Amino acid sequence: MSIETQLHDTASSQEPIIDVKNLQTAFFTDKETILAVDGVSFAIRPGQTVGIVGESGSGKSVTARSIMRLIESPGRILEGSSIRFTRTGTVQTFATKFDGQVVDVTKLENEYSPAQLLEDPSVDATPQEFDCDHVSEVSLADVLASGYADDLGIIDEDDCVFVTGGTPQNPTDGFVEITRVSGEAKRLMRGGRIGMIFQDPLTSLNPVYTVGNQIKESLRLHQGLRGREATEEAANLLEAVGIPDARRRVEEYPHEFSGGMRQRAVIAMALACEPEVLICDEPTTALDVTIQAQILELLADIQEERDLAIVFITHDMGVIANVTDKVNVMYAGEIIETAGVERLFENPKHPYTRGLLESIPGSQTGEKLRTIDGNVPTPTEPATDCRFAPRCPKEFDECTQIHPELVPVDGEDEDHVTACLLYPEDRSTPQAVEYHQRQARGGEDR
Amino acid sequence: MSSQWRYFAMRVLLMIPVLFLVMTMVFLIMRLGPLDPVSAILGPEAGAGARADIKERLGLNKPLWQQYIDFMWTLISFDLGQSWIIQRGLSTRELVAARAPRTIWLGFWSITLPLFVGVPLGFYAGLNSNSLGDYFASFMGIVWQAMPNFWLGIMLLAVLRQTGPGGQFGFLPNWYELGPTTQSLLGTPDLGFMSIGWLAVIPIPVGFDIWVFLSALKQVAPAAFVLGSALMVTEMRIGRTATLEQVHSNYVETAKAKGLKGRTIVWKHIFRNAMIPMLPVMFSEIGVLIGGSVIIEEVFAINGLGRLFFQAVYQNDMPLAGSLVFVFTIIALLFKILEDFLYTVIDPRVGFEGER
Repeated sequence: MSIETQLHDTASSQEPIIDVKNLQTAFFTDKETILAVDGVSFAIRPGQTVGIVGESGSGKSVTARSIMRLIESPGRILEGSSIRFTRTGTVQTFATKFDGQVVDVTKLENEYSPAQLLEDPSVDATPQEFDCDHVSEVSLADVLASGYADDLGIIDEDDCVFVTGGTPQNPTDGFVEITRVSGEAKRLMRGGRIGMIFQDPLTSLNPVYTVGNQIKESLRLHQGLRGREATEEAANLLEAVGIPDARRRVEEYPHEFSGGMRQRAVIAMALACEPEVLICDEPTTALDVTIQAQILELLADIQEERDLAIVFITHDMGVIANVTDKVNVMYAGEIIETAGVERLFENPKHPYTRGLLESIPGSQTGEKLRTIDGNVPTPTEPATDCRFAPRCPKEFDECTQIHPELVPVDGEDEDHVTACLLYPEDRSTPQAVEYHQRQARGGEDR
Repeated sequence: MSSQWRYFAMRVLLMIPVLFLVMTMVFLIMRLGPLDPVSAILGPEAGAGARADIKERLGLNKPLWQQYIDFMWTLISFDLGQSWIIQRGLSTRELVAARAPRTIWLGFWSITLPLFVGVPLGFYAGLNSNSLGDYFASFMGIVWQAMPNFWLGIMLLAVLRQTGPGGQFGFLPNWYELGPTTQSLLGTPDLGFMSIGWLAVIPIPVGFDIWVFLSALKQVAPAAFVLGSALMVTEMRIGRTATLEQVHSNYVETAKAKGLKGRTIVWKHIFRNAMIPMLPVMFSEIGVLIGGSVIIEEVFAINGLGRLFFQAVYQNDMPLAGSLVFVFTIIALLFKILEDFLYTVIDPRVGFEGER
């Protein structure tokens, strides 16, 4: 298929549409605090498919649900996390619609400086959390958006539109902070800007309403269509996702659809909102292989047609290779390796990624299937070591004492990074370990 | 679509053998049991001649199969026979017509409690699970359910009786003077608040006396409260479970991801799905209502069908008791049909025989 080649030319040069920065989502149970997502950062660009891959319990789905703001009590997105929707058109729409929730960052920059805010005793943040080496690199928007400044009374709790260029009435630059949206703004973001497809098509449709009814619900909400017009559009959407005899099918109930059909209907429902980003949380896991291929093809077609940004979550390396442009490998709440899809499959660096690729049954020779022994640990405390160390074939002493940072594999290229003490590979292991330690402290040697 | 209604029609047809079976059972239980209507009519010291005479007149000396056919025919033809003992010679139809309105009146007010308090409370508890309100409602529910209705009825009477001047519960408002003044806690409500005029053959209400209506309501209120309270708790608990199950289902997450309002999700999506397991529970309460009315009408001295049945069994009035069971069964089956109908309307999957 051609999505990969077609997108490689344009995608990397484009500005991200969603920028996830230092996302931390934790679940607070009576017994313990589970850091399901622990400091994840990545960007999503229009027309590009970003893959998130990992075992069960690695935090993939929680990442997706955090972007959708579907995390419910006892779960919470922690202070310091930032998910930015940066498309200017959306920022303008939100700034006009929710004019009481706009923050004029340019104006505030005259009054406050980031350095001054970070020194305030009530702000518990370090420049490293904003992916900066020094205080001077931190921008005011970073500090405000991540929620650190709420206690200082600079911005209100429900302020979510940050304008960094132009005026609040007509912003030319800025972002909508997804971790801060609430109420009407949150509902406009969900569906209308970011759509989501869930794992189990059998249960993600309401059994007591017709498929058409549920699609029309989206159409009415986000496009204002009603009555006959909406029915017409719902049938068109079903046709667009490859459901034959769509005009009759609109009137049918989910139980009259097969599994693959239902997933198509769910996709149609997500598309009805005309989102700019589509999050697919294991959309093909519950389907058999032939249907899986059809659904993947459908998603590729839709992406091409609508220039959608797609976040694709799966544990299936084969699917990842097929559909994505860029891959984030997650382990125990952290991204441990990021690279372009071809590079990752040709040249995986992190021992975990290698293990994952080696355990694909088809690619192996020999009697026994090679696997990674053990399970993903449940992260309950901030990492002070490598969380993969207990299962790692290349583990050495420092692995249990030093938390590896994401570093470029060859020391320079930011397109392929991994969090392993063995890298960058142009340094000897003691040097690399030292490099990681310095990075963790803020890399003051640079 | 059509398979759904075929299924419904089947369910209705299946009611006929059920009715037949129930009546056969009732016949057997009455004839084989210790009921002795002859002694009840004549008293225990009657002579053999008089006994044989009465037996002859009541048809009790016929062979059992013939008695069975007579019994069934009386019911199927809706003749329903007549009372032997309680109101000797009065036809069952007249008795039912006179007493049924009181029982319906009691039943109507009994279900308001579960329907308008129990169900909403259940939904509230399900939507706000593990909140303080939920814990409180669930706890009170268990306490409430632990009180059997005959006991609760007597306790309620004891308390209300003491609310008058000088009573132990004098600090409560005096029940006798609350609203329309009543003489007694016990007794049959006077239902003459609606005067009916006739337009050709169609009855139309022409007058309404609010005061009579209120006193009829007040007369039946304690009984309805007791009868309804057990049902209220059942509905609350089932409602909570049903709602809770829906709240965590995937389609709710899908609906949220579409950007739907919380209110729409609750009322459009959760409510209808939660109703599906609720319906059978609500309708099974019809049985509880009928059974409960037998005890409660006796406790509160309301001359309704339940009390009539109690007396009929107690005083060996065989044909009356049999006919009343027939009437109760018909009522229960009619509600069952209504339940199936509503079920078919609410859940499109009913009667669907495809792959799931």
